[in-house]
Amino acid sequence: MTVERTVTIVPEAGLHARPASAFVQAVNDHEAEVSAGRPDGDLVQAASMIAVTSLGVGQDDDIKLVADGPDAEAVLDELERILTTPEAELDTDDG
Amino acid sequence: MAERTLHGTGATPRSGVGSVVWYGRDISLLDPDGVEVDPEMEGERFADAVDTARTELESEREATAERVGEQEAAVFDAHIQFLEDPTIEDAVETMIGEGLPAPNAVDAAFGEHIEQFEGMDGRMAERADDLRDVRDRLLRLLTDGERVDLGDLPEGSVVLAERLTPSDTAQLDPERVAGFATVTGGRTSHAAIFARSLALPAVVGIGETLESVEGGTEVVVDGDDGTLLVGPDDDEREAAASGSGAAIVDESVETTDGKHIEVAANIGQPAELDPAAQRGADGVGLYRTEFLFLDRETPPSEDEQYEAVREVLDTFPDGRVVVRTLDIGGDKRIPYLDLPAEENPFLGERGIRRSLDPDSDLFATQLRALLRAAADGAGDLAIMFPLVATVEELDGALDALDAAAADLEGRETEVADPEVGVMIETPSAVFMAEELAARVDFLSIGTNDLTQYVMAADRENERVGDLHDPTHPGVLRAIRQTVKSAHDEDAWVGMCGEMAGDPDLTELLVGLGLDELSMSAVTIPEVKTAVSETEHSAASERADRARLAATRSEVHDTLEL
Repeated sequence: MTVERTVTIVPEAGLHARPASAFVQAVNDHEAEVSAGRPDGDLVQAASMIAVTSLGVGQDDDIKLVADGPDAEAVLDELERILTTPEAELDTDDG
Repeated sequence: MAERTLHGTGATPRSGVGSVVWYGRDISLLDPDGVEVDPEMEGERFADAVDTARTELESEREATAERVGEQEAAVFDAHIQFLEDPTIEDAVETMIGEGLPAPNAVDAAFGEHIEQFEGMDGRMAERADDLRDVRDRLLRLLTDGERVDLGDLPEGSVVLAERLTPSDTAQLDPERVAGFATVTGGRTSHAAIFARSLALPAVVGIGETLESVEGGTEVVVDGDDGTLLVGPDDDEREAAASGSGAAIVDESVETTDGKHIEVAANIGQPAELDPAAQRGADGVGLYRTEFLFLDRETPPSEDEQYEAVREVLDTFPDGRVVVRTLDIGGDKRIPYLDLPAEENPFLGERGIRRSLDPDSDLFATQLRALLRAAADGAGDLAIMFPLVATVEELDGALDALDAAAADLEGRETEVADPEVGVMIETPSAVFMAEELAARVDFLSIGTNDLTQYVMAADRENERVGDLHDPTHPGVLRAIRQTVKSAHDEDAWVGMCGEMAGDPDLTELLVGLGLDELSMSAVTIPEVKTAVSETEHSAASERADRARLAATRSEVHDTLEL
């Protein structure tokens, strides 16, 4: 199944540094194919750190997420959690 | 005067003197034309290099987390993601399939993206640095390049480089390296951030002229002015050496007329303990316990908290360790606490306000852990309550402490009777300091928050940055009133805000009557030196003049800042 969600970015760094690595890591930890982009722009492969950071989305920007696969809801929940958690409190456990 | 002065951006307010070691990578790629390679073999070489690079990054990540901190280690997570990026992998494999040697394919695949990021601003340009770092790591592995061992440089080296990547800076040993300077980079570049964490003198972004400085030349890195002095004269050399943090003072210090001033460290996570002890901290003036509560799904147990506090007490067996109870509010996310989203979290339910209710169980657990650690640990524990505004709050906290002691006695557990204090961060606490001090052993002034609340200027808002300055006479008067009230009630008084760590303000603070100064470990040696050069009676007179000034600029004139 395909699900879509738009999230407003909370971390100060935007989609860079720790939030970005946590984001890409989470995509890779799930089966679903995920793409991401600005609400009015093209979507890129969310499993690619280069593609994700080159979106240049910053704090308070909206990002559109589209997931397709058996765990699509779960991966979007996790991505939303990462994008709405201030950077200082992001879990940094490797996993 | 030095022969030449080069200008850049200062990364750390410290100076160092030493001789130049150039650090650069010398990876030469084969000309792919006319080279016959076996694509299958090149593909395997690439896969192996990626595996080795991942292992290296993971171990560097661990080492950095331990030596510097989680925050700085996180960059390696990003590098691992870049290393495993599917777009890179696809491009490299395609080019290898077309007959390119693996190193050339890696170079080309990364090059395209590096160029794309390079033309952008700020954070995006820093991604180009990340990609370069990952590319060079792979190229080194593919071409058997020797890595210059930055961890094993001659003592007194000043490292010059076009740029230093996070993995480079993580290897620098602050004990041996006198500083570094780079062609590229700004205040927020990884290299600059690492320099600050490690207290290394550093100047970044000097530009191409840096390349004209020969290896072996003597230089002064002045991270305060953002200059590199090439061929310094005796005075410049001496000034840099004396301010290079080399003069670590292990014993406690007093003013020239014999007033003892405790110089202690602010600690936010266990990794900072050993560096603080090495820099000559007499003890810990602020141990923030939040790290125990963040990044987890359930609250830490009494035993876990006990162990953490034991560790600090054993690190400073002859010192005092002031542990602040949980100071958390609506600007944080803690899954097991129902923290409200507040319109104004800094004027909301935080600090002691939450500990009394709704987090009273969490508070009781923490107090039991502290009382047990105080009995068993080597150093002297002191307990401090954050953001107290009223006497009622303090009475509530003291009741909770008595109840925790009674619980432990019921369990027949040994309990100590530690010193207890209040953090002075609200204007109300300043006005009530006498009544608060009458009930406790000490007060500690948290100048970051106190300045914010006295001046009504948000700490994080640059537009009111000029107002958020503790040298305004309004803040100085609040500090003096707190000190006087404490001393009238026979309580000692400390300071644990950023202001305490500024060696230019040490004389002022001694003059205002502070008994203890607690700061980030990096400036402890400078502050200890400043204390021992201060005459208490003269400092008091000058501090009075500063405090009675009408404007901040008059304060600065009085203090000759």
